[in-house]
Amino acid sequence: MIKVLFFGPVADTIGQRSIDIEYRIDMSLQDLRESLAQRFPQAFGIVAFTAVNGVQTRNMRQLLADRSEIAFMAKFSGG
Amino acid sequence: MRASVRIQHEDFSQDEEIARLKTRSQRTGAVASFLGCARDFSEGRAVSEINFDAYADMALAEMTVMREQAIAMFTLIDASIVHRLGTVKSGDNIVFIATSAEHRAEALEGCQWLIDELKRRVPIWKKEITPDGDFWVVPHA
Repeated sequence: MIKVLFFGPVADTIGQRSIDIEYRIDMSLQDLRESLAQRFPQAFGIVAFTAVNGVQTRNMRQLLADRSEIAFMAKFSGG
Repeated sequence: MRASVRIQHEDFSQDEEIARLKTRSQRTGAVASFLGCARDFSEGRAVSEINFDAYADMALAEMTVMREQAIAMFTLIDASIVHRLGTVKSGDNIVFIATSAEHRAEALEGCQWLIDELKRRVPIWKKEITPDGDFWVVPHA
């Protein structure tokens, strides 16, 4: 299982803070993003950053491990 | 003793944070600080309160790395970073950064660098609550 986390404006737009996605072998970050963007196009229109297990990444070809924690995040506005 | 890097719902005391830095070393010759607080007006609208959300684990990890980087880059003696989450009323404290060093230039530069990096790197989001509705803040840069 892959745990996908949403925060702030992305969570508000989706109406959930997390969803579980069935893990499959050779699933890449890009695969996950594309499938979720189809389900939640408005939310993914504001996604600017991605993190895998709490570490920001731009490598969308990265293959995911089972039990990974993925966050799709809008631009930060703290401070 | 309280941690040097924290995210918390409750308010913080600038005096306590600065006192902790001052007692860290007798070599301390300067303490610089930045306090961010909630405005009651933004983008042409009255703002009654601000709600903060965060990816807490990642935010804390990133703030901890930033503190270590600032200490190394600016030859700081110590640094504190505290950011509030949850609901903050207009006029309340949001974020506090303090840096200590032997001399003022390092302390001031380190403090400026830390707040700039926090805004750029730390996964925290703010939503302004106004009479016209609630609005997530979109950063300008």
